Amino acid sequence: MEFSELIKTATVESVLLSCAGQPAVKGTLCITSHHLLLSSCPGGDGQPSAVELWLLIRNVDAVEKRLAGSSGTITLRCKDLKVLQLEIPGMEECLNIASSIEALSSVDSVMMMYPFFHRPQNLRLEEGWPRLPMEQHFQQIAVQTAQWRLSDVNQDFAICPTYPPAVIVPAAVSEETLRRAARFRHGGRFPVLSYFHTRNGTVMLRSGQPLTGPNRKRCPEDEMLLGSVLDEGERGFIIDTRSAQAAKQARMTGGGTEPKSSYPQWKRLHRPLERGRPLQESFIKLVEACNDASLGMDRWLGRLESCRWLSHVKAALSTACLAAQCLDREESSVLVHGAEGTDTTLLVTALAQVILEPGCRTLKGFQGLLEREWIQAGHPFHLRCARSAYSHARLKQEAPLFLLFLDCVWQLSRQFPFSLEFSEELLLTLFDNAYASDYGTFLCNNEKERCLCKVKENTHSLWAWLDQPEERKKYLNPLYSPNPLVIWPSVEPQSIQLWQGLFFRWVRSSQYLDEAWAEIWRLVEGSNTAVKESTENRLSRSLSDPAARMENER
Amino acid sequence: MDMRNLRFALKQEGHSRRDIFEVLTKHAFPQSHNLNTYIYVSAKLWVLYNVLQGLPNERWRVTFINEHYGLCDTYPSLLVVPYNATDDDLKKVAAFRSRNRIPVLSWIHPENQAVIMRCSQPLVGMSGKRNKDDERYLDIIREANGQISKLTIYDARPNVNAVANKATGGGYESEDAYPNAELFFLDIHNIHVMRESLKKLKDIVYPNVEESHWLSSLESTHWLEHIKLVLTGAIQVADKVSSGRSSVLVHCSDGWDRTAQLTSLAMLMLDSYYRTIEGFEVLVQKEWISFGHKFASRIGHGDKNHADADRSPIFLQFIDCVWQMSKQVFYKVRPFQLLLLIILQVNQISNPGMLLSNDQPNPVEQRYMELLALRDDYMRRLEELQITNNSKIPNSSASSTSPSQMMSQVQTHF
Repeated sequence: MEFSELIKTATVESVLLSCAGQPAVKGTLCITSHHLLLSSCPGGDGQPSAVELWLLIRNVDAVEKRLAGSSGTITLRCKDLKVLQLEIPGMEECLNIASSIEALSSVDSVMMMYPFFHRPQNLRLEEGWPRLPMEQHFQQIAVQTAQWRLSDVNQDFAICPTYPPAVIVPAAVSEETLRRAARFRHGGRFPVLSYFHTRNGTVMLRSGQPLTGPNRKRCPEDEMLLGSVLDEGERGFIIDTRSAQAAKQARMTGGGTEPKSSYPQWKRLHRPLERGRPLQESFIKLVEACNDASLGMDRWLGRLESCRWLSHVKAALSTACLAAQCLDREESSVLVHGAEGTDTTLLVTALAQVILEPGCRTLKGFQGLLEREWIQAGHPFHLRCARSAYSHARLKQEAPLFLLFLDCVWQLSRQFPFSLEFSEELLLTLFDNAYASDYGTFLCNNEKERCLCKVKENTHSLWAWLDQPEERKKYLNPLYSPNPLVIWPSVEPQSIQLWQGLFFRWVRSSQYLDEAWAEIWRLVEGSNTAVKESTENRLSRSLSDPAARMENER
Repeated sequence: MDMRNLRFALKQEGHSRRDIFEVLTKHAFPQSHNLNTYIYVSAKLWVLYNVLQGLPNERWRVTFINEHYGLCDTYPSLLVVPYNATDDDLKKVAAFRSRNRIPVLSWIHPENQAVIMRCSQPLVGMSGKRNKDDERYLDIIREANGQISKLTIYDARPNVNAVANKATGGGYESEDAYPNAELFFLDIHNIHVMRESLKKLKDIVYPNVEESHWLSSLESTHWLEHIKLVLTGAIQVADKVSSGRSSVLVHCSDGWDRTAQLTSLAMLMLDSYYRTIEGFEVLVQKEWISFGHKFASRIGHGDKNHADADRSPIFLQFIDCVWQMSKQVFYKVRPFQLLLLIILQVNQISNPGMLLSNDQPNPVEQRYMELLALRDDYMRRLEELQITNNSKIPNSSASSTSPSQMMSQVQTHF
């Protein structure tokens, strides 16, 4: 399949581009294999043409066409929630453009996607791909305890196709035990270490559901694995992200829960978290409500409530807090799982780490967290982020779990404005790139697929781009002040707010907010300079004045 | 400092609140009862206000007709009126305005000279009375800035209520009687509706918020709808004066509730002076205190009769609107949350020795002035602390700067 086959009309002149909040622009529209470009007509006074639109076609979620007379209007609704309109002269051109965009945006083969072709000049391909992320994480744990080891039992992905090649397991457990435990867990996702809580040595594990089934099967290896985590007399908690009823019903299809009799030291807690289609629908309804200009103050709140998005945010934060409390307050280890262990499980473990661990709140630490708990851990980005909130296509496996995670992190940043090193801009960028990206970081569903597609060898890493000095500053929080404590968010309904920066991003100008942040940067940098200067002044004065020097030294 | 939580704590009668307030005021504003301060500061504020506005000038004059509150006992002693209106004219107009609250100047646009005037409703009544002096007075106002277009009158009430007020002797300016004016209703409900709304809000928030229906419950209180209407009304006033370059007259029924909200919010939007800490204090002093907002009745403090029909959270709504504005344009509006809370607490002052009275503004004003004068001391001490902090060499062995230190640095700069 050649891209050129999908492009019916490559160029159209005199197309009018309009976007909410910006003046309309006329220019020449071009479709390439991966992009939609519009360059404005050269100005009358010799002004050169400018590229007004450079849209990754993969970003298109829905295409609508309206024909009127001899021209047509195409409305493009994007996965990053932007909406644009193209007024195209000529009915045939309009139809051709629309179908070309539809075809190109539906290309499902990973290796045909833009990251495999994107070659920014100043980056080398190998940059930014974390070398041995699990090994690095393990090193930090190994210096504190000998109870855990790094296992490469999954190095060819044979044991668990969605796990990374290296996982952290109890030191006392053999490879064979792991292999057998894997057969007892959904998708082969046997319990592995997600997080080690330094303060008291407790751990957070995650897995898939046990395959108990209707006949109440048992697996001594799985029991041994979990048993080895706890000392004699110690108690652990299993946080099941399904309701008790759903978990029980899962037995009928081969799944289930860990029975008390077989896992006596573990107490099970159910905290149902929404996933799958209901979550995607909640997302869709919310975006609809935010775009509905007819909603007055008399109906807005009721409509917002009926979308239920904020209650999902609350439930996620609440469950993550529960996990964090078990570790930090109850001093008990925790196992988190849902059904498959790839969605709500990861939401909880990742969020709990942001709450507990100051290291995860730095820019670098947060990147590491995302790599470990979402990307390497096998969250199926390709399936979950295939379609966003505007798509009319029949939903398959889409669900905005990652967005929900980002929203929860945003709630934390709002409640603790000084405790995160990164800004809202980073969260927005991550949202955009999860759905459509120039980079390979969020491609595929797990490490196995990434190896097969040779993602690391043939695409650039998003981190390489973000870590460049001139880019990096955009993603930093000027108010950041390292906070060594656990940050416990309020999950009261009045504390959970709509993430306006995302959901109103294209609806309402952020001009005042941008100006305010620029002002904050100036104040912070000015104050830092002042402190630096006064320090330097004092030091230089003391050097020349023996009395002052003595004062300093004292 | 969640303003909402503290707000309801304040509504409770009880000692603990008083204690907290005493501690707060003791540490923020050391006690002092200097009457001279009041007079000095009061005079200073008026002079400042007049100079700022470039008044008096050839079109607007200061009248002393109300120096001893003889014309209108709920108005300030100094009034600014059109140059061409004589004191006699004013007396005649007062007879046609509810409680003698004649149209006077709140604010003048420095460039286009359009003005915001405020007053109370005309005493039209069921028989549709007219008053030539009032009609001529409005014309004088319109002509004062050389305006050819009609004078815009904003009646803060819903249409229905304004009409209903005729039955009790009030009403609004009809097109027939005032052909050179055009009137708009801003649909802001009266004090009783607002009181009910706040009561509903209090019910859903205290003792704790019920989770599953928080937003729909909040919607059912209509509190935010009212806030939106007040803000929208103020925006219309401000827009008419600045982009419309047209003078505006604002009134409700009595002209001391919704009118005060509209004029003060519009002035906040239009004039950056009022967005400074000092300016905000002047604003409240002028548009609320001196123009007779009945703080004592509205807050009903010390009065055990909770069902009192005069109670209403009008000033609180105003503060909420200011807070909404500051949330949206936050670095341009200086009074941050702390100041807003302090002002709210000034409202709630309970001092047994003090009579909270409506029509003799002195005692409440006096207390307010004291705090105002002593605020300077507080600010100075805060600055001293800043300087001390900044000049310290960071101690590398100490743990990293706590967030609260950072916060005070940033906020002071605001």
